[in-house]
Amino acid sequence: MRRDAPGAVEARAARPWQAPVRLEIDGLALAAGGRALLSGLSATLAAGERWVVLGPNGAGKSTLIAALAGLLRPAAGTLRLQARPLADWPAAALAGWRAWCPTSWSDPFPLRVDEALRSVAQAHAPGSDAAQTRLGALLRALDLEPLADHDVGRLSSGERQRVAVAAALMQDAPLLLLDEPSSHLDYAHRQMLAAALEAHAARGGLVVASLHELDLAWSLATHALLLQGPAGPPGRRAVGPPGGADDPDAELRVWAGPREAVMTPARLSRVYGVPVAEVEVCGERRFWVGPRRPGPA
Amino acid sequence: MTRLAAARPGAALALLAGAAVAALALGLTAGSAGFDGLADATILWQVRAPRVAAGFATGALLALAGALLQGLTRNPLSDPHVIGVSGGASVGALAWLLFAPEAGVAIGAMLGAAGAASLLLALAWRVTARAQQPLAGAGPVGEAGATVLLLGVMIGAGCAAGVSLLLALAPEGRLRGMVFWLLGDLNGVAAWWPAALALVAALALAWPRARELDLMARGEAWAATLGVPVARRRREALLAASIATGAAVATAGAIGFVGLVVPHALRLAGVRGAAALLPASALAGGAFVVLADAIARSAFAPLQLPVGVLSAAVGVPVFVALLLRGSRR
Repeated sequence: MRRDAPGAVEARAARPWQAPVRLEIDGLALAAGGRALLSGLSATLAAGERWVVLGPNGAGKSTLIAALAGLLRPAAGTLRLQARPLADWPAAALAGWRAWCPTSWSDPFPLRVDEALRSVAQAHAPGSDAAQTRLGALLRALDLEPLADHDVGRLSSGERQRVAVAAALMQDAPLLLLDEPSSHLDYAHRQMLAAALEAHAARGGLVVASLHELDLAWSLATHALLLQGPAGPPGRRAVGPPGGADDPDAELRVWAGPREAVMTPARLSRVYGVPVAEVEVCGERRFWVGPRRPGPA
Repeated sequence: MTRLAAARPGAALALLAGAAVAALALGLTAGSAGFDGLADATILWQVRAPRVAAGFATGALLALAGALLQGLTRNPLSDPHVIGVSGGASVGALAWLLFAPEAGVAIGAMLGAAGAASLLLALAWRVTARAQQPLAGAGPVGEAGATVLLLGVMIGAGCAAGVSLLLALAPEGRLRGMVFWLLGDLNGVAAWWPAALALVAALALAWPRARELDLMARGEAWAATLGVPVARRRREALLAASIATGAAVATAGAIGFVGLVVPHALRLAGVRGAAALLPASALAGGAFVVLADAIARSAFAPLQLPVGVLSAAVGVPVFVALLLRGSRR
């Protein structure tokens, strides 16, 4: 065995789920396609929390999720999982700690739904009984039981999306990174998705998911990451920093924290470029999104 | 067969092994005078056995190369012949014949195949990198997949020009050997064991990693998050496919459609996953070429057809039929 610094030994010795998962983002800057997407993002994401990533198209939600998964090198800053820089993790060990669910899938070869899920578990522990139990529970949780022997290439977009989420959960890693997991899902299946993600966090997992629906985001999240993006809100491109020079948020492109602090109607309105108001429906908080006002601000 | 192959891959493999043995026996009894059970022992062991063995190894290599290249390019229509890897092998072999002794022609063919396959994957990687690979999710989807095929066709076209160039440059003394090799098929097989050796090597390289190759075929960035060392596996599979294509082309020239039809047919028959598909492709590909060669030798006896004609005559309609069926899989 190699000797390491005490903290590193602790991080290495702990197996997934035996120590609380913790992801530290420190001064993160990201760029894609030659343009800066966000800079100066610092946050600590801990076990049991559910983070939603919000922002307009092109704000860098997918880039951020991929960077948190260790797939992209940040332009600046560091990402630490269990106090260990993400870049220093061996791929096999990291796979036990974090799962990543991308937005789009292509299925060039025939593959049954249950095979698609089982192969994920087999990548870690071939033929374990726990994996079989887990497969059954996931098929039920995401309403995939009737589709278990169907070919993934013949599923509808929403059904395929549920298989993708199930595959990520099948990996049984505490840190769960999902890129737009609710896309193509109908109302019932969105609720099933939310329930599955809440259950994951409740058993000590950490969920990070990019979403477009504010109501779903609000009900799912404990915390939120709101990205302004380089372009500014639609219709206000190249006009200058949002809100004018006296705005305290003017230089910021990203906000992170508890959902109540981040998802304020004023800020959501500014970032998305549409009026957003808070309303109460049947005792629950909802967001009302109004028509976009034409012309520059 | 579909149910059996999906539920019991071991049983499906045993079935294919039986079919392969039957094909070998049939190949040994097929002669220019039709099917004769008891040929002269000299003809049987000096003429037919090496040819049947070479045919089996060649078919196995081509089908294995096809299965590997389909996974690597994430495109079920890839085939060493279609995407220019066979062309690369031809250029390599002819270049070897032009500058080096004839004996090592298989090495030249393998180097050529490796060059063409590496060029293809490097260009394909550029296409997918431009589409921001990890962000485009599972990788080359639709358009990018077609781009990979087109890149391969272009490499093949370039290799065809390379063959013409090498023939034009060749001095009189070398030209005869080069043309002879170029026109050769199983009829002119010198030795069968290099192909068999290459088959063992290619299978040994790729088969133990079958499960990881499956995950990579579903998305390389996604496979990386599952802990698969993607770059190393890609190199190994590329090397295995190059060895297989190079050895096959060096043994019997470019026989098309085996690498395309055999893995595709096996998949549609329910053989899923590289762990079953790679050995199944080798067995079925070997049997396919042995049978095609047996028919080529005996159907129009005493005329002997090139086996490539037979494989295309069988392969093209079968492929089209499978494609039409597969589109509503």
